Amino acid sequence: MNESENMTRDVAAPVRDNAEVEAALNRRYEAGFVTDIESTSLPPGLNEDIVRQLSAIKGEPEWMTEWRLAAYRHWLTMPEPDWAKLDIAPIDYQSVSYYSAPKAGPKSLDEVDPKLLETYEKLGVPLHERAKLAGVAVDAVFDSVSVGTTFRKELAEAGVIFCSMSEAIREHGDLVRAYLGSVVPVADNYFAALNSAVFSDGSFVFIPKGVRCPMELSTYFRINAVNTGQFERTLIVAEDDAYVSYLEGCTAPMRDENQLHAAVVELVALERAQIKYSTVQNWYPGDENGVGGIYNFVTKRGDCRGADSKISWTQVETGSAITWKYPSCVLRGDRSVGEFYSVALTHHRQQADTGTKMIHIGKHTKSKIVAKGISAGRSSNSYRGLVKIEKGADGARNYTQCDSLLIGKKCGAHTFPYMEVKNPGAIVEHEATTSKISDDQLFYCLSRGIGEEDAVSMIVDGFCKQVFRELPMEFAVEAKKLLEVSLEGAVG
Amino acid sequence: MTTAPSPFVRAALDAAATVPASGIAWLDTARRENLDAFADAGLPESRNEAWKYTPLRALAQRSFALADAGIAASAPVVPVVLPGVDGARVVFVDGVFRADLSSLDAGHGVELSSLAVALVAQPEPLRFALANRYRRGAADAFAHLNAALATDGVVLRVADDARMAKPLHIVHVSSGLQPDTAWHARVLVEVGKGAHAEVVEHFVSVGDGAQLGTVVADYAVREGATLGLVLLQDASAATTLVRRGHVRLDAKAGVTVHAVELGGALVRHELTAEVLGDGARFDTRGVFALSGRQHVDTQLEIHHRARDTSSDALWRGIADGRSRGVFRGAIVVAEGADGTDASLSNKNLLLSAQAEIDTKPELEIYADEVKAAHGATIGQLDERSLFYLRSRGIPLVQARSLLTLAFCRAALESLSNEALREHLGELLVAHLPTSVTE
Repeated sequence: MNESENMTRDVAAPVRDNAEVEAALNRRYEAGFVTDIESTSLPPGLNEDIVRQLSAIKGEPEWMTEWRLAAYRHWLTMPEPDWAKLDIAPIDYQSVSYYSAPKAGPKSLDEVDPKLLETYEKLGVPLHERAKLAGVAVDAVFDSVSVGTTFRKELAEAGVIFCSMSEAIREHGDLVRAYLGSVVPVADNYFAALNSAVFSDGSFVFIPKGVRCPMELSTYFRINAVNTGQFERTLIVAEDDAYVSYLEGCTAPMRDENQLHAAVVELVALERAQIKYSTVQNWYPGDENGVGGIYNFVTKRGDCRGADSKISWTQVETGSAITWKYPSCVLRGDRSVGEFYSVALTHHRQQADTGTKMIHIGKHTKSKIVAKGISAGRSSNSYRGLVKIEKGADGARNYTQCDSLLIGKKCGAHTFPYMEVKNPGAIVEHEATTSKISDDQLFYCLSRGIGEEDAVSMIVDGFCKQVFRELPMEFAVEAKKLLEVSLEGAVG
Repeated sequence: MTTAPSPFVRAALDAAATVPASGIAWLDTARRENLDAFADAGLPESRNEAWKYTPLRALAQRSFALADAGIAASAPVVPVVLPGVDGARVVFVDGVFRADLSSLDAGHGVELSSLAVALVAQPEPLRFALANRYRRGAADAFAHLNAALATDGVVLRVADDARMAKPLHIVHVSSGLQPDTAWHARVLVEVGKGAHAEVVEHFVSVGDGAQLGTVVADYAVREGATLGLVLLQDASAATTLVRRGHVRLDAKAGVTVHAVELGGALVRHELTAEVLGDGARFDTRGVFALSGRQHVDTQLEIHHRARDTSSDALWRGIADGRSRGVFRGAIVVAEGADGTDASLSNKNLLLSAQAEIDTKPELEIYADEVKAAHGATIGQLDERSLFYLRSRGIPLVQARSLLTLAFCRAALESLSNEALREHLGELLVAHLPTSVTE
C-alpha cells in the first residue's frame, strides 16, 4: 500500500480522515526488512544426523552431543501440547531448517559485516554507540550465532562471565554442564525438549559470589534467514549474594511464512542472589489477516535455590502470531521471592496464551503476579497462571492481580488462574477484572482536545504503569513506544 | 479404546443389560447411544482438564450393580423433613420413586409427576431433554451413564404466571441396605413465562453403605419467570455422588441457587447456567465444609449469551482433616453479549496440613461492553479480626468459631426462606471442624 510509506503524520492531530485511519490500520510492520547476507544453513529436516551435524558445526564436546541426542530421542516420544487456548495450524517440524549462521565468524566489531550493523541501525540499536552511551553490554544474536560481544573486559574484571552459549560450552564446559538443564530438564515439555536437541545459541551469564554485575546485560535477538527456526538457550547463574539485571529484546523482519521459535531460559539464584530478567518481545506478529508471524513457544524458569534469593520476571509481549510462554519461579529456598510483571498486547489475529507459575516449596516464600492483557482487533489474549503451595511452605504468600482491557468487539480476553494449596499457613489471593476503555475516560480526553488514538494510548499506558515501572529505564521508554505502534489502527 | 474396560465400566454395562426397554423408540436409541459413548470413552483420567483435580483411578476399580428396586420399594425410611419446606414432596429411595413417602399435590397450575409416569402418559414433550447428546467424550462420562441408566426422576411444570406457594422438596435417599449399588435419577423442570417456582434438591443417607448416585437436572426458566433452587447434600461419608445441573434462562428470567455441600466421600457437582435471554439474572451461592477424607469438586459455569444480563457468584469453602476441596468457576461472555455484568468470589479456609484446596476462577470474554471480575483466596481467618474480637474480651476459640461461621453464612444470607436458612446455618455449624468450634 502506498499510504504506508508516508506515515509521518502529526501525532497530536486527531484522526478525522477515513483514509488516514485506513492507512493507520494497514500500516506495515516497521522493522520488516530483510538484510541480504549469505547464510550457511543445514537442510530442512530433523533427525539424529542433523542433531549430530549441528553439534559438530559448533565444535561441541562429546557430552553435549549426547545431551542433545537424549533430548531429541525423548522429544520423539512426546505429544504436542494442545491445552493452551491457541488455534495453531499444524507445524511441520521436518520443513524447518535447524541451523543458520552468517558465514564468516567475525572476531571483533570492526570485522562485523557492515550490512549487519546497518540492520541494527534500522532497529535503533547502534551496537557500539548505544553500548558506550548507555553503558549496556550487548551480546547480539544475529540468526543463531553471536557476532559481537562488547564490554567483555570490564565484565571480566568483575569476574562476570557473559558470552554466547556456544563459547561457554567450549570454554566453561564444567559450569555449563553443572547447570544446563537443571532448571528446565530436557524432558520438561515438548518445546523444551526440541530446544534441548537443536538449540543454536544464546547467552550464558555467570555472576560469582558476592559480585554485583557492574552493568545491565542485554541481548538482541533477530531472526533473519528465511525458513530458519530460532532456538536460543539462555542460562544465567547468580552465586551467593550476586546480583544481575538482564534485558532481552527482539524484533524480526517481515515475511509471510510462519517461523518456529522455541527458546529456553534457565535462571539459577543461589543464597541471597537476585536476578532481574526483563523482556521486550516484538517478533513479527503476522499481518492483519493473520498471514505470517512468528510462532513463539518459550520455556522460561527461574530456580530460587538459595535462601533469601529473588527472581523477578518482567515482560512486555507485543509481537508474535502465537505466544506460548509462562516464565516461572521455583521458590525452593526459604524466604525466597518470585515476581512476575507482564503486559501482553494482541492485535489483528494474534494469539497469546501467557502467564506464570509460582511454585512455593520453601518456608515463608513470597510471590507477586501483576499481569495486564490488552486485546484488540480479532485477537485472543489469555492469562494462564499457576500458584502452587507445597506442604512444607509454611507462611507462604501470594498475591495475583490480572486485568484485561478489550478494544473492539471481535477480540477475546481470558483468565485461567490455577491455585493449589496444601499448606494451611499459606495465604493466596487472586483478583481479576475485564473491561473496556471507559467512555468517560475517552470523553474526558477528547473534550480536552486530545485525539482518540492518543487518548487510547494514554489510557493504555496508565493501565500498564504497574508493569512499566518495573522495567529498566531505557526499556520502559521502548515498551511505551512499542505499545503505541502496536495499537495503531485499533480504534477509530 | 483398545485397553480393557475398567471394572466400573464393565459393571455399568452389565447393569444396562438389566434395564428393560422403554418401548419408546427414540428413548431406547438415546439410551443405547449414551451407553456406547460411555463404554468408548470410559471414565475421565486426570489428564482430562475438566477432571484435573479429581482423580477417578480408585473409582474405576470399583463396580456398582444397579440398586434392587424391590428392596428399595420396601426399605423402611423415616420421612425426611426440612423446616420451611412443607409443600409437595418427591422421595426416591436408592433411585426408586416412593409414592408412599411422596405427595404430588403442588397446587394450582403446577404439574408434578415421576419421570416414569410422565413417560407413559406423554413422552413427546420430554424428548428434547432426554434425547440430548453429550459431546465431550470422557469428560461427560457420568452424564452418558445417567442418560443410559436413569429410568425415573421428577418432572415439574409450572404453568405461565403460576406461582408455587411452597417449595417442592425432592429427596434422594440412600437406604444403606444395598451397599455397592448405583442409582440414577433425572430431574426436569420447566418454569413457564412469568411463573415462580421453588425447589429444594436434597441428598441424604440412612445408613453408610457405599453407594453411587448420579443426577442430571435440567431447569428451563422462561421469560420473566423466577426460580429459587436450594441444593442440600448431606450424604453419608461412603457416598459417591455426581450431579449435573443445567439451567437455561430466557429473557428477564431470574434464578438464585444456594448450594450446601456437607457429606459424601467423593462428590462432583457441575452446575452450568446458560443466560440466553436479554436482561436475565443468575445468582449462585454455595458453601462446602469438609473433613475426614472427603473430596468435593464443584464446577460452576455461567454463559452469558444475551444483552444486559448479570450474574453474581459467591462460594465459600472450608477443608479440614485430609479432605480436598476443588472449585472451578468460569464466567463466559459470548460475542455480542454487551452489557454483561458478571462477578465471582471464591474464598476458602484451609485448616489442616493434610487438606488441600484447588481453585480455578476463569474468565472467558468475547464482548467488550462488559464488566467482569473474579476474586479467589485461600488462607486462614483474618488475624486482625481475631485480634479485634479478643481485644473485646471474646476468648480465642469462640472468636474463631464466630468468624468461621460468619465466613460460611455469607453463602446463605440471600436465602429468603428464613426457616430453611436458619436450619442450613445450624447444619453448617454441626459440620464445622472441631478445631474451630471447641
